[in-house]
Formats: sequence, structure tokens, C-alpha cells
Amino acid sequence: MSQKTIGEFEEVVLLIVAILNGDAYSVGIITEIDERLNRNVSLGAIQTVLKRLENKGLLKSEFGDSTNERGGKRKRLYEVTAEGQKILDQTRFQRNSLWDAIPRLSFKLF
Amino acid sequence: MNQRENKPSRIALTFFHWYCHPDFREEIEGDLMERFSTYSKKYGHNKANKLFIKEVLFLFRPSIVGNLYHLTNTDIMVINKQNKRLVTILTTATALLLIPLIAMNFTNDVNWKFFDFLVAGVLLFGTGLTLEFILRKIKNLRYRILFGIALFLVLILIWAEIAVGIFGTPFAGS
Repeated sequence: MSQKTIGEFEEVVLLIVAILNGDAYSVGIITEIDERLNRNVSLGAIQTVLKRLENKGLLKSEFGDSTNERGGKRKRLYEVTAEGQKILDQTRFQRNSLWDAIPRLSFKLF
Repeated sequence: MNQRENKPSRIALTFFHWYCHPDFREEIEGDLMERFSTYSKKYGHNKANKLFIKEVLFLFRPSIVGNLYHLTNTDIMVINKQNKRLVTILTTATALLLIPLIAMNFTNDVNWKFFDFLVAGVLLFGTGLTLEFILRKIKNLRYRILFGIALFLVLILIWAEIAVGIFGTPFAGS
């Protein structure tokens, strides 16, 4: 069975898009990643990942409003698709099952 | 605050307009302007401009440029496969020449004179055209690879000689 997989950064971006719930656009996503994860991301990196996730069918987008601050240019707003939601659930389930599989003795307190 | 202080580098913006795929231009230009505006309030115009130029340079990547042929508006011309390849080679050479031109705007470490651009241009366009000549005249894959590697070795050696003077010829750089 063929299965779509996502990388760590792709997963972060998908989660942030889901958190922003309809208001997700590149600059907003960068700000949210910085605030929540204290991680500095460039515009080029975020745009590349957003385009890739859209091509994979995990995100969908449409043009939003324009503002003076943006020089009159419209934002592209992203939303997680049903496929994206499914892959997020799958990733979470896989991670949880791996965590659950670790024997308790593996974590020794020092 | 004068009008200049509200606007980022025109050269960088023109470069961005040129390379960015038309489908992404509006949204990414908006993002760049929004980031510039935020940086301006936070750090002042000069630093905001430097960050703007840096972001424009970092956006120059395949996922944003997309299909290279849009760079020359070749969709309005009827061109064959060979000419498309030639256009791609010449566009790549032009893009490489633009990197130091843009970089000069925000760092003193890059300081090219007109003659430097001329020499680099002759080298890059010369190599590009020779590569196209090789690809058109030689059909055997093995010879194509061999001549291609030889061509790039010659380019690198000439560039190194002009830049730092490894052989000590009359046109060696220092």
C-alpha cells in the first residue's frame, strides 16, 4: 500500500496551519512558529514547504484580503485538507505507539 | 519620514519580479512588503532594507522560480527544444551575474567593478554557449559528459587564475 509521509518541518507547518484555523498565511505561520517553538524560519523555507504540502494535497489555499501594509497585495490563506488531517492523525498515532513501546526502564533518572 | 524610507530596494524588488513565478508573485510580494514594514518599525529603514534584500536572495530557489522559461517570456514565441535549452543556459548565466550585483547593495565584502562584471559575463556566457555548441554537435552521451566536464574544469581554472592567480600568467589576479 502506498503511503504519504511528511517530514518534521512539514508536520510543524501543518499543525500551525490547523492552529491558525483559516487565518494561516506565510508571514502569520512564521510568527506563530517563532512564538510557539522559538524557531526562526525564513520566508523562502516556509513558502517552499507550503507549496510542497499543497502539491501533496495536504493543504488547500485561496486568496484573502489585501492591506496597505502588504502594498495592496493579497494574502494566500491556507487550510488543512481532509487528507492533511488524516496524515496528522496517522503521524500522531505512530509517534504515540512508539512512545508507548519504550520500556519504562529505558528512562533512568540521574 | 520621507517616501524613500517607506520603500524597500527597487533593484531587489525588480530582481524578485523577474525571477518569481507569476502564479506566486502577488502573495510573496505582499509577504515581503509586510515583513519589510515590520522590520522598518522594529529596526529602522537601513536594516529593514538589508533584511529585505537578504529575503529576496533566499527566495531565489526552484520552488519559487518554477519553470525557468517564464523568465524570458518565451511563451509568446514559437521556440524549439534546442532554443529552450539555450534560453535556460543564458538565463542561468544572467542570474549568476545578478547575484554579486544584488549582494553589493547590502555588503561591502562584495565590491565588483564594471570590468569584473565584463570578465565574469564573458566567462559565463562563453561557457554557456560552448556547452550549447557541444550539446548540439555531439550526440554520443559519453562524449557529451566528457566534453561537459572538461569545459567546466577550464571555466573553474580560468576563474581561479583570474581571481587568485594559481599559474602566474600575465592576467593572474591576486
